[in-house]
Amino acid sequence: MGIPASAIVLAEFYEQEKEKARQEGMPGVRTQWIQGPVWAKTREEMRRDVIEGINPVSGRPVMRELVEKLTRPLTAEEKKMEEIKQDRGPETYTGTREELNKLFLEKRFTDFLPIVLPTPERMDEMLKGTSHDPDEIVGRMSPTNTGDFFEYWTFTVRDVAVNAVMAGCKPEYLPILLAIGSADPRTGNSKEAISISDNGFVGALVINGNIRDEIGLNYDVGAVGPYAHANTTIGRAWSLMAINLGNCGKVGTTYMGVIGNPMNLINIVIAENEEKSPFKPFSVRKGFEKGENIVSLFEGWGILSAANWAVNRWGGEMDYPQIMKDIAAQQGFLFGTCFVLSPPIAGFVKARFDTIDELEKWIAPPPQQFPGFAKPKPAEGGDAPAPKPKMPAFGGFSNISTIVTGASNNNYWSAGGLRYSRSIKIDEWR
Amino acid sequence: MKRYITAAVMALFCLGIFCGFSAFNSPVQAASSEEKLTVLTPLGSPPSIKPKAMAPRLDTLEDKTIYIVDNGYPGSDLLLTEMAAWFEREMPETKALYKRKQAAMGGFEGIDEALWAEIKEKADAVIIGLGH
Repeated sequence: MGIPASAIVLAEFYEQEKEKARQEGMPGVRTQWIQGPVWAKTREEMRRDVIEGINPVSGRPVMRELVEKLTRPLTAEEKKMEEIKQDRGPETYTGTREELNKLFLEKRFTDFLPIVLPTPERMDEMLKGTSHDPDEIVGRMSPTNTGDFFEYWTFTVRDVAVNAVMAGCKPEYLPILLAIGSADPRTGNSKEAISISDNGFVGALVINGNIRDEIGLNYDVGAVGPYAHANTTIGRAWSLMAINLGNCGKVGTTYMGVIGNPMNLINIVIAENEEKSPFKPFSVRKGFEKGENIVSLFEGWGILSAANWAVNRWGGEMDYPQIMKDIAAQQGFLFGTCFVLSPPIAGFVKARFDTIDELEKWIAPPPQQFPGFAKPKPAEGGDAPAPKPKMPAFGGFSNISTIVTGASNNNYWSAGGLRYSRSIKIDEWR
Repeated sequence: MKRYITAAVMALFCLGIFCGFSAFNSPVQAASSEEKLTVLTPLGSPPSIKPKAMAPRLDTLEDKTIYIVDNGYPGSDLLLTEMAAWFEREMPETKALYKRKQAAMGGFEGIDEALWAEIKEKADAVIIGLGH
């Protein structure tokens, strides 16, 4: 527009926003930093602590400095218009095992655990898992796939194979990883396992079809835990792909989870127990054939035992559908709800609802608004704020998913915040 | 009897230390750890960055109109209405207008075309928040 501007940003995001400004081609953009958080502050606190406070980065008064940012002439550095060329650095590294492990750790190519070093021989072996050209572009990934907020890195079949080697995967797992990494035809973007969000999101996969048995995915005791080679290494590989192919998970710039999430290490990999489920498989409910090999992608806070919800009840006569409905209501407004039922719990649900669709329609209340968007209060004598806009529900209650997996040795089940994204045919990547 | 058992345990312990020490110094192991390997980069490819020009600054804010734009993030309303009030108190010669972005489908990331057009026509400078 050619109009001078300054964005107001919390100082806690200083490193991230400097990086974002660099990626946007405006490294000198004059952001004004304030002390956060501002959410839930009173008007008096806002005036005293923020408006009349100091910029935590520069140590100078916020408003006086803000005026300067709009009036001080641009420097020669700020006027520079040279294209910044970026590349991924050397294609290979050479050294002893110890040196290479240390180098990969220092360069943050890893998840901080030991890796299998990706030699060309191991990569060639991994590539036997697909017929696709190693140089084929699979997708492009960034730490925020829901908008163009961070730059997207592109990656090939070969790049996915390298990360699969590092995670300890077998070649027969590669088609699943390629499907996960494939670009969403609606957006052209791939789904990252590690989001930049301060929520501390985790990625989740639901795998259906015959491939579950072909590669030894566990869907019995400990189904969503690290108790089978395929579940564990596929989940780990998705996180390594996020770190290395999408520049995700770098604390301070591309990762801002306030508390973090231990599930980021191997994500949540759910092979559905189709054989013990009284319902149609998740993938079939999404329109695919039974037996077809499908991976479905999710993102959210993760899952916990249903016992963690205050609305859960224990007793002789358990109304599981009602508990599910109450959990969905308690789960909140922003993101979807996911239920992971063990076969016995699914059996109880089946006694009341013939299909999952019927259950989920009964559970879902009308879409609600983001709770923080209250009507703005006008300043004394200031311009009256505009009326409250209707905000999207970000998936909200309309995004409820129910998956059946695990064993039948007790009536346990899990629930949590996971939002379904899309389902992909694995066999197209064989 | 007890003495024999103690002696046997000690002997096994010494044997264990000896064997462990030998394995630790085994030439095969040492050669393997010194072997040089070549490995592949695991990184994807970042794009080049095209620079964007920053707008020239104003000489002064006196008699200028500043749009203070609320993107709808929780807490932005209080913050930015207080900011508008600060301009009114401290720089009354500057006209600071609080505006709430209307971007029903895009949330705080959305673009309010009407407001953007108004800014282009009427604003001398813009302050926008909140980046949380």
